[in-house]
Amino acid sequence: MTNFYTLTCTELVEAAKEFKFIWLSLFFVILGITQPLITKYMDVILENVGGADGITIDPNRPVPSSAEVLLSTISGQFNQIGLIILIISFMGLIAADRNSGMQDFILTRPVSLRSYLLSKLMGHWVISMFSISIGAVVSYGYTIFLFGSFSFSNFFLFLLLYSLWILFVVSLAILISTFVKSPILIAVTTIAASIFFILIKGFNHFLFQLSPGGILNLAENQLLSVHDSNYFSIATCVAFILLNLSWANMNLKKS
Amino acid sequence: MITVVKLHKTIKKRKILSDVTFSIAEGECVGLLGPNGAGKTTLIKCMTGILQHEQGNITFNSNPIVQHKKNIGYLSQHTDFKPWMTCEESLFFFGKLSGLDKTFLKGNISAVLEEVGLKDKGNYKVEQLSGGMKQRLGIAQAILHQPLLLILDEPVSALDPIGRNEVKKLIARLKKRTTIIISTHILDDASEFCDRYIIIKNGMIVGNITEEFQKSDRKQILVKMGNVPQTSEALKSSEVERVECLSPNTFLLTGAVELDLQKVVNDFAAKEMDITSIEFYERGIEEIFLEMVSDT
Repeated sequence: MTNFYTLTCTELVEAAKEFKFIWLSLFFVILGITQPLITKYMDVILENVGGADGITIDPNRPVPSSAEVLLSTISGQFNQIGLIILIISFMGLIAADRNSGMQDFILTRPVSLRSYLLSKLMGHWVISMFSISIGAVVSYGYTIFLFGSFSFSNFFLFLLLYSLWILFVVSLAILISTFVKSPILIAVTTIAASIFFILIKGFNHFLFQLSPGGILNLAENQLLSVHDSNYFSIATCVAFILLNLSWANMNLKKS
Repeated sequence: MITVVKLHKTIKKRKILSDVTFSIAEGECVGLLGPNGAGKTTLIKCMTGILQHEQGNITFNSNPIVQHKKNIGYLSQHTDFKPWMTCEESLFFFGKLSGLDKTFLKGNISAVLEEVGLKDKGNYKVEQLSGGMKQRLGIAQAILHQPLLLILDEPVSALDPIGRNEVKKLIARLKKRTTIIISTHILDDASEFCDRYIIIKNGMIVGNITEEFQKSDRKQILVKMGNVPQTSEALKSSEVERVECLSPNTFLLTGAVELDLQKVVNDFAAKEMDITSIEFYERGIEEIFLEMVSDT
């Protein structure tokens, strides 16, 4: 437990030294305010930017609800561009230690592989959720300012469930890091696998519910106030996280 | 102290170690020699508990090695630390992972930095250190918890001559108080510290060379002549199978089996040959190594 704490703190200090908390948060803040601003002022933007000849904005178009705007911010911005940048930011989470010999130095101490992997998971999850939360809260503020009120408890519940998805993505990056050494390849594979789990919704809804991506549906339902939610997705996502970690643990022991 | 019995290790369906058995006693300095890709690093990673092996046993004072991680200091082949940490912070980090308490660490870190010659570099960031300094910091983290066994994987191979010299001096000092295993393919370096050599090739132990072995390998005799013989064939006898001319008056005689020095001397005396000196030829570790790892 002491080793887990020491290793996690080191991960967090390293992220602070690399200004990850600042630039990732800024990035998510920009993503968070872009969607509500574009949705609200699309016609003004087109008018001022120019080059909008032939484009007509229906003046009678329905004004989207705050829930819809928040949903498009998360699924359109955070879960696509945001996710890619996030994965790129932690693509070297195991590879850097492995290639520098740091991993060997750590594992020859009385440190269990479990503590080492859990510290990586926890450290990068905290960094990611810190940035995402700041971005999401700013987006929430802009959305209720521009489109009307929205329940904070629902928004908070959404963030809580979304954090499970992020935990899964970090665990996936850890698992892939035990197979490949190149950080770029780790990033590409993690991005591809994560997008697959998101896109599977369009192909087979049942499979999507059984996949770790099912948690996204549950999270989005909190924004849309849908009550027939499938809480089984939480168990599925946790099971996949545990599976990823156990597999990574096994791989590192073997090679 | 450490015993390895019938160790087998396979990585990605490729057999890396096969039936590896040896033991190392307390106080010994053993060189683990082998060409690149022989399995030295994998063996070391199994011995330090980083990798799990499929078959065999590794024991430290009769207990499984994983129970003795606190007694092992390890220097990895690729020595790099968190570049943003200072030397002191790096050592503090590793000390904490070793379970050392803060008070002990505070006193011990400066002592260890002094020992490795980095006393005045305690506040330097790792990224400011030279290759030799990083390697010495690597040794510092390995000895910080005062281990009984020190395992050094290629400690000098990536360094320039100055860095190598610094690290070699440090190892020579450590040898006096710790059991050391040094993995290297630079034989000159190994011969400076090691009492014994374990030679590994294709994942198998092909030699266990002691100083006695080097001396007791009595198949070759070095002869210096007063007069240069007309033909080296004159030096051949029933026991001597091959004669090599090393210089105009120095010859290396090789027998198929162990040679009897007295018999060879008598033989030369009978032929009235002018011998200045005659002695068993003690082969260097490099020659023995090359013979053991060569495919022919």
